[in-house]
Amino acid sequence: MTPLALWRRQILTIVSLEWKKTLFARRGLWVFALAFLPALLIYLSALNLRNHRDELQRILLNNPTAAATTANIQIGMPFDRVSSILTGANLNFTTITRANRRTIIRYSDGVSSWDLIFVNGKLTDRTDRSLPALNDRIRQFAAIFQYFFLRLAIFFGCVGIFINLFRGEMLDQSLHHYLLAPVRRDVLLIGKYLSGLFSTILLFGSSTALQFFFLLYAYPGPESASYMATNGWSHFFNYLGVTALACVGYGSVFLASGIVLRNPLIPATIILFWEASNWFLPELLKKFSIIYYLQALCPVVAPISPDVPDAFKMLVTAAASIPTPLAILGILIISTAVLALAALSIRKLEINYSSD
Amino acid sequence: MSSSLITFDDVSRFYGEVLGVNRVTLNIPPGITSLVGPNGSGKTTLMNLMTGLVRPTSGAISVCGISPYDPQNLFRILGYCTQFDSFPSGYTGFQFVLSSLLLHGLDRQTAEQKAWQAIAKVNLLDAAKRKIAAYSKGMRQRIRLAQSIAHDPQILILDEPLNGLDPLVRSETIALFREVAARGAHVIVSSHVLHEVDMISDQVILLANGYVVAEGAIRGVRDEISDRPHQIVIRCDKPSLLASRLFAHDFIVEARLHPDRLGLLIQTTNLSQFHKLINRLALDGITIESITPADDDVNSLYQYLISEEGTSK
Amino acid sequence: MAVYKRTYSSYTGPLSSPRFRFLVLPRYSYQHLFANRFLTGFLVACFFFPLGCAAYIYFVNNLSVFSSLGLSIPDFLKIDSSFFRFFMNFQGGLAYLLSALIGPTLIAPDLANNALPAYFSRPFSRAEYILGKISVLFILLSLITWIPGVLLFFFQVSQAGPGWLSSNWFILRAILLGFWAWILLLSLLAVALSAWVKWKIVAGALILGVFGIGAGLASAINSILRTEFGSIVDLSRIMYTIWSDQLNIDPANGIEPPEAWLAFFAVCFFCLFLLNRKIRPREIVR
Repeated sequence: MTPLALWRRQILTIVSLEWKKTLFARRGLWVFALAFLPALLIYLSALNLRNHRDELQRILLNNPTAAATTANIQIGMPFDRVSSILTGANLNFTTITRANRRTIIRYSDGVSSWDLIFVNGKLTDRTDRSLPALNDRIRQFAAIFQYFFLRLAIFFGCVGIFINLFRGEMLDQSLHHYLLAPVRRDVLLIGKYLSGLFSTILLFGSSTALQFFFLLYAYPGPESASYMATNGWSHFFNYLGVTALACVGYGSVFLASGIVLRNPLIPATIILFWEASNWFLPELLKKFSIIYYLQALCPVVAPISPDVPDAFKMLVTAAASIPTPLAILGILIISTAVLALAALSIRKLEINYSSD
Repeated sequence: MSSSLITFDDVSRFYGEVLGVNRVTLNIPPGITSLVGPNGSGKTTLMNLMTGLVRPTSGAISVCGISPYDPQNLFRILGYCTQFDSFPSGYTGFQFVLSSLLLHGLDRQTAEQKAWQAIAKVNLLDAAKRKIAAYSKGMRQRIRLAQSIAHDPQILILDEPLNGLDPLVRSETIALFREVAARGAHVIVSSHVLHEVDMISDQVILLANGYVVAEGAIRGVRDEISDRPHQIVIRCDKPSLLASRLFAHDFIVEARLHPDRLGLLIQTTNLSQFHKLINRLALDGITIESITPADDDVNSLYQYLISEEGTSK
Repeated sequence: MAVYKRTYSSYTGPLSSPRFRFLVLPRYSYQHLFANRFLTGFLVACFFFPLGCAAYIYFVNNLSVFSSLGLSIPDFLKIDSSFFRFFMNFQGGLAYLLSALIGPTLIAPDLANNALPAYFSRPFSRAEYILGKISVLFILLSLITWIPGVLLFFFQVSQAGPGWLSSNWFILRAILLGFWAWILLLSLLAVALSAWVKWKIVAGALILGVFGIGAGLASAINSILRTEFGSIVDLSRIMYTIWSDQLNIDPANGIEPPEAWLAFFAVCFFCLFLLNRKIRPREIVR
């Protein structure tokens, strides 16, 4: 057998031994939760939106003048006055009291849905809770994908899975089984990396696909059909590709830190802060992060998170428009460089379980 | 460099400020070699150095001409049964042995066949399909042994392999070591059970505090210890007469009568002169049934070289 | 017949009080913890901010320049509940980092090394073990949270006079109750996660992740489901709401104080449930 054929066979063996361990270990269940929570949330939201749409249509059918009547509700009106207008318009509404601080009247008039907010018995604000347009939902999805899914879910999922591949076995005192096999250590590294990649792409990729599907599930009919006919499919494959590249990038970083450092938590924390603060770093420094390239590949620009303090918003530079091949190349170069460093390090790796 | 020897050339290994082994120079030939020494003497470190699990701070190691840092070639000819009592989670005994063989690049059918053969050799066929987590300590020891012998290695390194085994399995395992050694392989065993080491070893390496205290065939090592008189048991018909005759010579330092009055325990500082003398005395009418060395076993070597009295000398 | 000599005599010296026997654990833990220079340095650094706050209080209470000019002291130079909320947020953040550093070293190594049978083969109960481990954090976090907080409060009273005390006594209650709740939450989380995962590295990652992912998840839930209740998975938001309420400051958007307290107790009980399941004297064979 040629060395290349042997390495290929050994890598396949390692992947087949590892991927089940990675995916179906009890200690890895939280990664499943992390991956599929956004999909679950979007599904619940889609169900809610569909019900909401049905309700609006029913109200409009039964009470076509309700919207005109409720247009008389003005800021500053007392609670009793507003509730009598709504009762007069023959509309059902719910009252929500938030710890005696605020009282909210929630109702739908067949055209829109509203939250009327009362403080000290007076109407102070009204919030439109109507069915958002698909475009708004696509922008909302972009924000959740970039701020939660990429930066937190995939990030921590990769921390859990890739650090576990070497450091976890070190802590389990079972890594020596691999080191006592006639396998080159760099071949072992590639095998383990590919098994981690397979697991994470399977997990997070299927979650991305489900999220996208549920996003459109809320908009049956021509709205989603026209979206899919124009940008839909390209967005879908873009998101899938970004998910896979995130696993490639973060996976390589955390696999390496699991090999090089006894406590990979410290670099994980530093990388988390580095990636999180990427949006206001100078252009040159941005290039040394994974999220920089991933964001450039995302098909929709995400609105800046409302949690970002105003002072920081001024520092935000618009996401750079890097050509797609360059962005992909950027991630691949970072990952390859990191894996090369890890390969150098694993050659000198020693088994010293007592120190862990 | 000979390709049939495992060589250590001035090898030292420190764990920070703690000494693992220091300035070890060894040439280990094929056969059964026992590493003997108290806890922390450096036995496991020596084995881990041979297998590349740890690297020496200084010095060079060669395992039959192969570097320990060339796992692809080394572990085709070497099997190491470690002392680490941990396994990949969720594996059955069979899966554990099989996975190791698959990593050798064997096709599945051959690997399965070899795995069953190895498991049969350690008498674990009945439990092979059970999860290792449900194994007893002795079974875990045996499945590790099966994994290390499954690819028919030329060099077998075993760290405390008899730990946790019951007497029957112990003797079967020892027979297995002998079988492997008989086909010209290296079997390197570390053990605390001195009488078993004595039974199975062709040569011993005695370690204390990270230093090699002695190495070689047990008899040879004993002969090298000149500051301790040799002890010999003589069974004869006239032990009192024999004792009085022996005491006439300077090289006899002690003669103690056996309680059954049919034997003597002699201590002599010159073994060859003692043998000449005893031949003469036998011709003078004392019937000698047997002459047996009483202290050329591993236990005595351990006492002389490693125990507190020995090292303080 | 065998004849046995009765030579065994048990220990007859003084014993530690059973009520405070759990304090044996912190005593030994501190020896181990303070051997780590980074940790000791971090602990010392945690006192800088309270010292700065004390200097600020002194400065604000001794501004003669405004009165000499016949001006009143500007609002932003007042020591009030907002000042103490800032202090609590800052020291609370440091307490969180300290618990992420120390927490994983508490139970995970005992579980990883199968040491629990050794503890429980002594006159030492599971409850005492957990109490002992929690007290390691409780004592240390107290040093950097409510103790300097109370000192700062009384320093302000000494500077501003009894009039300030009568109108701001609730701040003392907020410092004590708010920090005790925070320390309890951090300690329980740290030891429960440490017990759950057995590995100190992963436990540390989880302690960091629970807060980070919780905050991210909360905003995802709020955004997708158009609600405010998502904030109940955001532990930092829960504590922020509780502190703001105690300090009579409107916590603005998000969950209400009773909901925050409910979420707080739910997390504490969940941690106790985890500890009850995991802290058992059994050996784990891998």
